[in-house]
Amino acid sequence: MIRKYSVLISLAVLAVVMLVPFAVVTLNAVRSPEDYSANGPLSLPDGLHFDGIVEFWNRVDFGGKLWNSLLISGSVAVLAVVLSVLNAYALGVGRVRGRVWIMVVFLVANTLPQEALVYPLYYLAKEAGLYDTRLSMIIIFTVIQSAFGTYLLASVLGRFPHEILEAAAIDGAGKWRALWRIVVPVSRPTLSVLLIFFFIWTWNEFFLPLIFLISNENQTVPVALGVLQGDKMMDATMSSASALLGVLPAVVFFLIFQRTLTRGVTVGAIK
Amino acid sequence: MSKVRTGAVALVTAAALAALAACGNSEPEAGKPAASDGPRVLKLWHYESADGAMGKAWAEAIKQFEASHPGVRVQFEEKAFEQIRQSAGMILNSDEAPDVMEYNKGNATAGLLSQQGLLTDLTPEVAKRGWDKLLSPSLQTTAKYDDRGIMGAGKWFGIPNYAEYVMVYYNKDLFTKHKVEVPKTFDEFTAAMDTFVEAGVTPLAVGGAEYPAQQIFYQLALSKAQRPWVDSFQLYKGKVDFRGPEFTYAAETMADWVKKGYIAKDSAAIKAEDMGVSFMGGKYPIVVTGSWWYGRFASEIKDFEWGSFLWPGNTMSAGSSGNIWVVPENAKNKDLAYDFIDITMKKEIQNLLGNSGGVPVAADPAAITDPKSKELIENFTKLSSGDGLAFYPDWPAPGYYDVLVAGVQNLINGSRTPAQVLDEIAAPYEENLADIGG
Repeated sequence: MIRKYSVLISLAVLAVVMLVPFAVVTLNAVRSPEDYSANGPLSLPDGLHFDGIVEFWNRVDFGGKLWNSLLISGSVAVLAVVLSVLNAYALGVGRVRGRVWIMVVFLVANTLPQEALVYPLYYLAKEAGLYDTRLSMIIIFTVIQSAFGTYLLASVLGRFPHEILEAAAIDGAGKWRALWRIVVPVSRPTLSVLLIFFFIWTWNEFFLPLIFLISNENQTVPVALGVLQGDKMMDATMSSASALLGVLPAVVFFLIFQRTLTRGVTVGAIK
Repeated sequence: MSKVRTGAVALVTAAALAALAACGNSEPEAGKPAASDGPRVLKLWHYESADGAMGKAWAEAIKQFEASHPGVRVQFEEKAFEQIRQSAGMILNSDEAPDVMEYNKGNATAGLLSQQGLLTDLTPEVAKRGWDKLLSPSLQTTAKYDDRGIMGAGKWFGIPNYAEYVMVYYNKDLFTKHKVEVPKTFDEFTAAMDTFVEAGVTPLAVGGAEYPAQQIFYQLALSKAQRPWVDSFQLYKGKVDFRGPEFTYAAETMADWVKKGYIAKDSAAIKAEDMGVSFMGGKYPIVVTGSWWYGRFASEIKDFEWGSFLWPGNTMSAGSSGNIWVVPENAKNKDLAYDFIDITMKKEIQNLLGNSGGVPVAADPAAITDPKSKELIENFTKLSSGDGLAFYPDWPAPGYYDVLVAGVQNLINGSRTPAQVLDEIAAPYEENLADIGG
């Protein structure tokens, strides 16, 4: 009984700790700048003040940024999963020669910091005429995310029961058919988790979009939030308002896909 | 449930397809604004907030530019400071470069780009349009860069529209309550702070984790310095002795101020933002910081009266021109860019900048009507007419900002003696000096 309550209490404490930053952000998002200056960030606001949110939305054309982010993250999520599946099928099921080394390369690619990639990517994008286009971000992030996806999926597919594939082969299914009719449906929970992770990771990317998406009309949500951080000044209330706007889509997305996510995670756990 | 999932996947796929389609469509229209048949476009970037002094003045300048240039459209984009800081070099090296943009002055920023050949030499335009006559010598320092990219001499690569300087802001209500007069001399200044300490009030709001503390340190050094010392320190025109009277006095006085209680011991961890907010909340009577806080204080302090004065006893103060307009070498409409810069230097725009809480470089003093702005600009005129802008202590070497933050934090914490701190901040400076062969 005591154990049950202690677990409950520690969970409650954890939940509070997790929620406090959100509460502070929300509190300051609806606070007027004068109130912030006079009473600091932690007091209760003296009235609801939505100007910060509205003004930020208009100032950066937030609707457009949302669309850009959705476009880039959505495309990357889908394309990276497809690419990962194809790679992993070759590496995990197809057992290509030297696959261990190929996997090592993918692992190393994962550990490369983005700062190291910036200049080469910049020159490539400029040569290809893709600098300052959303397409450049989609291509780059598809590759980056699928490096991780390939690494993960290849080890998952490496343990794929060969009996099933052999049975399919006996029934006359080619490699292509086996992939789409057998491997993909069986590993679907893992793929959906990957899809969601890729979406959220790409959504939250800041550094490369900051470098590559120069025009305001191409920018993503995290880059737009950066507008508020000045050289020497910051606007705390408007930053909070923008942070609230920036985090909402990710929360909504999470709520929509939450069931898929937990199911995928538990499927992985049983394995 | 399966339906929901399929629906969701379909949604994402649809977004992806739309993405590819959209990307394909948008490419031709980007990057080719200066087509000969359509209207000409001036591509303009800056990163000032729209309701700040510069934002307001430049919005008006855009309006006037469009009025005087029929058939030309100004394509203005407000940029994130972080974006320009991170990737200015890459942007300016590409076809996406704007025609005119705001950029940070200094060796590591505008100096570096000028050395890389990414900025247009403005010297002929400066002479033709007489911009040099509007700018005082210490303002010109940050507009000119030599072949090594070091400011102070050489060709013009930028035009500053506004200036900034470090001053003392004070809470009039707290001064009256504790019967303290506005100090005119350095001794009166310390006497005033003594009065506050006796009454149990910490007089100075200091942000030790960021730029404010090192600016106080620099103000103290300047109180013992002459112009040649500043030229040596900032422009490498001579040797600087870190154990000399200027820095020794600054370090010892700063440590002393902490002991006397003028500066709170815990302020080493305070950020500039929190420092400003604590002053605006009426918790401290005095804050020493730059004119970039002026607009915010003016619009957000409602509960008490406040004012500003120059650091008592100093003829020099930390300060410089503000950020500068630069014209990228890859700009497609340089002639329009020059015209735009010229408009921002006009009296009308400069006066608007002054009346909105900024420090204009070429305003008509009589046209500044707001009394607080008048005080701000008169103090600046006093400084700049005496050649008193001494730039900022972190300018001389790359990465020197962090060195100074750490050094001054050690002074405030008392974890190092003043002499140790001086040695600490001397080393990176000398290293940089050796690198540039100065």
